[in-house]
Amino acid sequence: MLKVPEHQVAGHIASDGKLGPLVDDQGRFFKPLQGDSRGEHEAKFYESFTSNKKVPDHIHRYFPVYHGTQLVEASDGSGKLPHLVLDDVVSGYSNPSVMDVKIGSRTWYPDVSEEYFKKCIKKDRQTTTVSLGFRVSGFKIFDHQESSFWRAEKKLVLGYNADGARLALRKFVSSNSPADSNLTPNCAFASEVYGGSNGILAQLLELKDWFEIQTLYHFNSCSILMIYENESILMKEGDDAPAARAQVKLVDFAHVLDGNGVIDHNFLGGLCSFIKFIKDILQSVDKRDETNTSLLENGR
Amino acid sequence: MQLKAPEHQVAGHIAKDGKPGPLVDDKGRFFKPLQGDSRGEIEVKFYESFSSNTEVPEHIRRYFPVYHGTQAVEGSDKAAMIVLENLLADYSKPSVMDVKMGTRTWYPEASEEYIQKCLRKDTGTTTVSAGFRISGFEVYDHKESSFWKPERKLLRRLDVDGARLTLRKFVSSNSFSDIGSKPDSAFASSVYSGSHGILTQLLELKTWFESQTLYHFNSCSILMVYENESILKGNDGDDARPKVKLVDFAHVLDGNGVIDHNFLGGLCSFINFIRDILQSPDESAES
Repeated sequence: MLKVPEHQVAGHIASDGKLGPLVDDQGRFFKPLQGDSRGEHEAKFYESFTSNKKVPDHIHRYFPVYHGTQLVEASDGSGKLPHLVLDDVVSGYSNPSVMDVKIGSRTWYPDVSEEYFKKCIKKDRQTTTVSLGFRVSGFKIFDHQESSFWRAEKKLVLGYNADGARLALRKFVSSNSPADSNLTPNCAFASEVYGGSNGILAQLLELKDWFEIQTLYHFNSCSILMIYENESILMKEGDDAPAARAQVKLVDFAHVLDGNGVIDHNFLGGLCSFIKFIKDILQSVDKRDETNTSLLENGR
Repeated sequence: MQLKAPEHQVAGHIAKDGKPGPLVDDKGRFFKPLQGDSRGEIEVKFYESFSSNTEVPEHIRRYFPVYHGTQAVEGSDKAAMIVLENLLADYSKPSVMDVKMGTRTWYPEASEEYIQKCLRKDTGTTTVSAGFRISGFEVYDHKESSFWKPERKLLRRLDVDGARLTLRKFVSSNSFSDIGSKPDSAFASSVYSGSHGILTQLLELKTWFESQTLYHFNSCSILMVYENESILKGNDGDDARPKVKLVDFAHVLDGNGVIDHNFLGGLCSFINFIRDILQSPDESAES
């Protein structure tokens, strides 16, 4: 039957009688329609997007597959509520490492209420949203040494500055103990996860190309989810197809608006900034590997 | 040295009420008074840093005014002025447009008062909606043999469709007397497209902004200039000489390892507007 998903890193969590998403054993994700029209709004987006012929085929892979809405027993025991039915983006992974990054230098948008605007801009200024064009909302890593997940503390994550965000992105692809805050992240999986022709960077660049021209939607307050299989990188032998199966997905469409002939410059700017952060990590890893190689070659 | 007020200022400060405005000489130089409350200093610091910054690629320097240091100028209470290249010196009848780039003109390091002031202006203009706003422009009307310049107040109230229309007007030959007529976008291809056109230059800038983490160009403008007269005369070899320049660096800050995503987002949006005009030069915006 339905149970609480294991891999939520941000957003509402169904626990202790709270209302949150649920998953079944068929790879489906049930998201309760949020109150005050946000839920309906998100459903409307999915309906529009799914049937929108102007969205290129290769872009659909970055969005969860939508299966309509369904009345489902709510997680907080309040009875049957309408839920969005989506493909669970982490089903198919056994121990996925997941990170949620909210993209854009502002999470508010024109015509919102004064209250909502104030709430958003306060958070945007307190986090890296204004300074970097994105903020890490949450992440968890599979710690293979402990055979358990390590989750970043929410409060710490929201308090990140640029260096904190950088560190989190490095930690996300490291194999040394995430729990030990004194350890420098080793970025052991950076090339497998971020790099390569099917890695995170390649996917982000494909999205960027689309965002430079698409005027269909403005993805206010949307997140990019990064997912990969930590375990299989360590277990794989030989040079097969990347075992990491790194994936980028856009999620959370409660505030999406019509593009009205204008590109989503807010999302695009933040996306470009995020891409630069990923590129920098890959470059530093390449440099380090080059240095190590030449040290080895020089007999050290 | 004869100094006089420049003829083609479309935005920014002008000489008013005893306060000094910019001046030009007959040697291709532009004299900009240092703005008060440290903004002038910041601008000077930027020009000094930029001029000697070896990390700025050579092909990007062409998008910035050449800097000639500062100078105390007679007749302005010996106030210090920034000496720059006069961007319009080589044009006889330049059409000029100033576009303030970015989804926001404020930045975290500014005072709360300044932030609130900027926010109000940003939300009231196309800055928030389109990622840029048109600060001013002037087009040469060859029929009247004079320059046509809309009221700045009107520009501030432009919405997205209005901005689109204005960008078409900028490259039209029929915009001025007939308020009701659709802009003919007659010069769109000579000015916006081509291997030396505005779009090509903007795309070159965009590529740089995708990786440069040297400066954050808060509240900067892109100036578009072209020679209206030569297109009309149709002389061979005389083209519109469209030019893109970044100007106004009173709020530039260090990039600190982060790209200028605010400017970049706005620039990409602006590029899209120009592209749209090139793809459909006959359609004007729906009113």
